Amino acid sequence: MKRFDLRKTDWTGYAFLAPALLILSLFVMYPIVWAFIASFKTINPMEMRQTGLFNIPGEFVGLNQYIEVFKNDLFIKSLWNTAYYGIVYIPITLVSSALLAIFVNRQLKGINFFRTVLFIPYIISIVSASLIFLFIFNSDQGLVNALLYKFGIDGPNWFSNSLLAMPVIAIMSAWKKIGYFMLIYLAGLQNIPHSLYESADIDGATPFKKFWYITWPLLGRITLVVSVLLMIDTLKVFQEIYVMTGGGPGDSTTTVPFLIYNEAFQFFRIGTASAMSYILFLIIIVITVWQKRAVDKKLG
Amino acid sequence: MKTKHPILLQVFMWTLTVIFLMPIYWLFISSVKSDREITQFPPTFWPKEFHWENFPLIWDRLDFTQTFWNSILVTVSATILITIFATMAGYALSKKHIFGKNVLFMILVGTMTVPPPALLLPLYFIIIKLGMYDSLISLIIPFGVTVFGVFFMKQYIDDVPDELLEAARIDGCGEFRIFFQVVLPVIKPAITTLVIIEFVNNWNSFTMPLVLLQSEDKFTLPLKLAMLSSESVAIPWSQVLAANLLTIVPVVVLFIVLQRFFIKGIMDGAVKG
Repeated sequence: MKRFDLRKTDWTGYAFLAPALLILSLFVMYPIVWAFIASFKTINPMEMRQTGLFNIPGEFVGLNQYIEVFKNDLFIKSLWNTAYYGIVYIPITLVSSALLAIFVNRQLKGINFFRTVLFIPYIISIVSASLIFLFIFNSDQGLVNALLYKFGIDGPNWFSNSLLAMPVIAIMSAWKKIGYFMLIYLAGLQNIPHSLYESADIDGATPFKKFWYITWPLLGRITLVVSVLLMIDTLKVFQEIYVMTGGGPGDSTTTVPFLIYNEAFQFFRIGTASAMSYILFLIIIVITVWQKRAVDKKLG
Repeated sequence: MKTKHPILLQVFMWTLTVIFLMPIYWLFISSVKSDREITQFPPTFWPKEFHWENFPLIWDRLDFTQTFWNSILVTVSATILITIFATMAGYALSKKHIFGKNVLFMILVGTMTVPPPALLLPLYFIIIKLGMYDSLISLIIPFGVTVFGVFFMKQYIDDVPDELLEAARIDGCGEFRIFFQVVLPVIKPAITTLVIIEFVNNWNSFTMPLVLLQSEDKFTLPLKLAMLSSESVAIPWSQVLAANLLTIVPVVVLFIVLQRFFIKGIMDGAVKG
């Protein structure tokens, strides 16, 4: 029988929780609510200056701003651009990290060094990595075009080509993230009990059968989780765009987050920026729920 | 797993190592090239002569002493706050009776799905209203705890047996002493992992400084670097890359020294999450 008894309550628990809860309420939860309310209001940035911390001024306009966002050609284009990034980034990262995890999950001389090497790009900041790739893919001084030149190919001008700029950015992200997702796969692989393989050996299973009936189903489950994480990554691409292309050429690398940033901090359109944010949020929720269902279905 | 073709695998592994390290190698050799050599095509794969003076040159040009100090101040302070507050909250959520605990925890985990760009604008206004805009404090206090940190510590503290705390309580140990002298020593590895992850995150943080800082003398390293790419004054690539290399060195050294905690943290998180 559990009753909420004031005298017996251990108040120290609340004391431990208080600092974190205070910060998270003010700087995480309140902004989420704020953006939600702002997405239904037209807010004049000048008005914003005079109001108190918990006031959100402006006129309530219902769903108007959401409608406006969907009528905005640049927003639709940014959705396509984001999808284009995902089409390059997700398969490359997923397949490479899974294969590498299977590869490094064995005893081989120098394997620890190899794991470390793959992981180093992950800890380099996006800004630094962007500058490195900006230089490597530079059209007239870069490494890539120099290598192409050795094979007699005249390398393109990567960042002024609206078809090539986004894939280059996606390749940079893949370079950064493969080591991380490899570790997630590796964690999964190492969690497969050895006894499963041993009993399969006793039953005389071939290596292929062991892969197909033991390793693969388990990898399938991680793959589901990893693909959702990759999709969420895709919906967050901002810094690399800011540093490498500034959204160009011809808006071909303007992603949704980059557009939100411009809408908010270049044009001070608070309402539409908030509406775009919530559309992005909604997409992530749909993906997450869909993933959870898929996992449950697979397990149940 | 048994290996059938060790030599073939070795070759494969070393090829991949070269491909993965190529950008970093290129960063290094380009940062010590002369202004003239860097603009050559095709580029040289090994510098004709090493221009180490690129480093002091760009250091002075960008006033990197100030920038490094800003980055160190923000990163160290935020990491300390995150570690303390996340551990305390994780402990409370794991071991204490708190009204509405499960709902609260679910809300917290739910906030992790919110895309960060959605929070930029409200955070900007909230921080202006609190009078913290364009100060380093605005990068420390509002980010003094992370949901990831609370979640990570809670998962870890869940594994600490309740009997351990009960035994301490029976011995007449106070609640705060239990936390400091019983719980903390047991979860040391988790704390180390959290410190490293949050240190790297804060060191590399770009979007929040971009939105919250205005004066150049308050800029942190990633912000200063990003400004280089849009700089109207032409700075030679060799010096841009030299500046870039300087900002990367601290985290890479930290990672190489403490990598086992890092890798363990990510793999544990993967299994539990």
